[in-house]
Amino acid sequence: MYKFIKQYTETMDYAAIYPMISLFIFFLFFIVLLVLVKKMDKKRVIELSNIPLDTDETITSNN
Amino acid sequence: MQVEKFYYDNRSVKNFAFATVIWGVIGMLAGLYAALQLVFPSLNFIQYGSFGRLRPLHTNAVIFAFVGNGIFMGVYYSLQRLCKARMFSDTLSKIHFWGWQLIIVAAAITLPLGITAGKEYAELEWPIDIAITLMWVVFGWNMFGTILKRREKHLYVAIWFYIATFVTVAVLHITNSMALPVTLFKSYSLYAGVQDALVQWWYGHNAVAFFLTTPYLGLMYYFMPKAANRPVYSYKLSIIHFWSLIFLYIWAGPHHLLYTALPNWAQSLGVVFSVMLIFPSWGGMINGLLTLRGAWDKVRDDVILKFMVVAVTAYGMATFEGPLLSLKSISAISHYTDWIVAHVHVGALGWNGMLTFGILYWLIPRIFNTTLYSKKLANNHFWLGTLGIVFYAVPMYWAGFQQSSMWKQFTEAGQLKYTFLETVTYMKPFYAMRSLGGTLYLLGTLFMVYNLYKTAKAGKLVANEAAEAAPLEKAYVSHKGEHWHRWIERKPVQLMVVSLIVILIGGAIEMIPTFMIKSNVPTISSVKPYTPLELQGRDLYVREGCYTCHSQMIRPFRSETERYGEYSKAGEFVYDHPFQWGSKRTGPDLAREGTGNLKKTNGWHFRHFREPSSMSEGSIMPPYAFMLKDNLDTSTTIAKINAMRTLGVPYEKGFEKVANADLMAQANEIADNLKTDSIRVSPNKEVIALIAYIQRMGKDISTQPTNR
Repeated sequence: MYKFIKQYTETMDYAAIYPMISLFIFFLFFIVLLVLVKKMDKKRVIELSNIPLDTDETITSNN
Repeated sequence: MQVEKFYYDNRSVKNFAFATVIWGVIGMLAGLYAALQLVFPSLNFIQYGSFGRLRPLHTNAVIFAFVGNGIFMGVYYSLQRLCKARMFSDTLSKIHFWGWQLIIVAAAITLPLGITAGKEYAELEWPIDIAITLMWVVFGWNMFGTILKRREKHLYVAIWFYIATFVTVAVLHITNSMALPVTLFKSYSLYAGVQDALVQWWYGHNAVAFFLTTPYLGLMYYFMPKAANRPVYSYKLSIIHFWSLIFLYIWAGPHHLLYTALPNWAQSLGVVFSVMLIFPSWGGMINGLLTLRGAWDKVRDDVILKFMVVAVTAYGMATFEGPLLSLKSISAISHYTDWIVAHVHVGALGWNGMLTFGILYWLIPRIFNTTLYSKKLANNHFWLGTLGIVFYAVPMYWAGFQQSSMWKQFTEAGQLKYTFLETVTYMKPFYAMRSLGGTLYLLGTLFMVYNLYKTAKAGKLVANEAAEAAPLEKAYVSHKGEHWHRWIERKPVQLMVVSLIVILIGGAIEMIPTFMIKSNVPTISSVKPYTPLELQGRDLYVREGCYTCHSQMIRPFRSETERYGEYSKAGEFVYDHPFQWGSKRTGPDLAREGTGNLKKTNGWHFRHFREPSSMSEGSIMPPYAFMLKDNLDTSTTIAKINAMRTLGVPYEKGFEKVANADLMAQANEIADNLKTDSIRVSPNKEVIALIAYIQRMGKDISTQPTNR
């Protein structure tokens, strides 16, 4: 696949770095995401997931 | 801390809910009618309702009217509760609601009139595009206003999906709608050929992603826990789901263009990311289904949960199938067939439809402070809907496989086994069965209309629902070692900016090379701009929505080059604003219709347009007899030539002044030629221009003699 990209980007300066950058961004994105999510505080996560449930359900009207 | 009292705005929610139901029924009716037209072509009795104009009306109504209003209904309800705040401005809510309905009405008027930009799911012309942009800004303004004055510090995951939806749809809509207006109702896409195709399918795919998926995932993350009365299975998974979904989705567009003239590297990129998409998609589906852990017994009795379970399951099926379809070897079979129609309807009827119904059944009784009128009726709706999906999808899958294998079969002597027409007539029973599926689904929806009507009548709208919450501390002091994501969970604007960056990465990497690098679109010196008559004819082709059934893109397979001629090259489309490659072959490909073995006489085309079945027995193409009577509007020729020149089409300077004379000369030629076929027709009729365009197709790079 790399050959494919290179072949088509020949007319662009420094073309070879282009797919490398994409690959780097891609891996970095997921590694950072997974590490950060793994490190999240458990108690906090439970609190967050309960946000939709802790609203008062009793319906009253002012009209 | 002092608790504040405030009121939730339920009136806007109700308005959007009713609009969802009404437009849903209309959109489904249009779809059912279009489906029946494929079985009974005589239903195309008026030009305003012919298949090519009705199909865009159906898709636009279902996507932007039914699902669009469904999104706003769900967002307006959930956002207020998640932010513990009333919507930012009642005036903006009203403008948003009525503005959006006006846009839909404008679409419902212009599309049947043939006013279209000719790009799938982006057919609406430029004044309506501008209106959509404005209304989207109003929606965003109202949403961010609400988020900024919220009383809940943290932004729940549903809100991130809403924010990503807002920002990405804005980017997609603006980029893809870029066009040069020619008249009030006509514009030409700024991009041509391959580039137009890439932008269009980057848009088309991500319209599925960010209009039909991300907002509905947001709704799933709110309404499913509500309906099941338990929190989402894994909040951490939802974070991963969100970021990876929005990051990956945006790269996948080129899988709609496999084996086309799009550069190979872009196709490969699209495939790789489409395959990876299965992970976030299934992560989300599993998260939704496992929210019901320990509550599966409820699913047996609770009709709302039933709808939601089928919706999420359909989401899982469609997102499993999507990556498969984007593999090149499978796309070779599925592309242009009814398989794709089945695939999108599993998504639309299953995921969007069933989730919308579930939310409506949950929400309407609550805002009307009553209970659902009839659970039994809702149960019947559930079964009709589910069976409707099965009866729709199974015949279409079958039809797709059958179609594809018939297109590709050769006899022992090495000739194509079936004519295209044979493959069309073979499809009719499948199309009939599909209509049955659609009818069941629509019937179920009508049950819901009655049920919700009775529910609303029995209750009274709680237009302003009282609530209480403590205000946010003015200055939030972040403490040391606080988690990174909390920073972003508190800051909607940062969240929007980061989402924007994440989606722009994929879009940029896909598009910059295609636009910047010349070698991506090799020039073919024999490809010349259209003559004025051909250009007018092409615009008629766009007006009639011919692209809804005919492709103009021959893939490099023996079965296609045998049937249609030389495969299509990127350089052939450099003057095509917009591109008309199409995505479905209900009729044959037309890219080489004017050349080689495919070439027919002008007289053949004339008679075929008047009554297709008179020339091709069993054809299901609508008749275009009105084009034999209607005069071609040549008042626009000068403006069109000028516009094309502005877009880079090399018409000589001053050509616009002689364009109409050139047009008439070519029209006279065709009319004279028709006389030899004993057809007397005035050269200024629309059909002449359309014939000129059809006869032009494929001629540029044709090496064969043009007359058979």
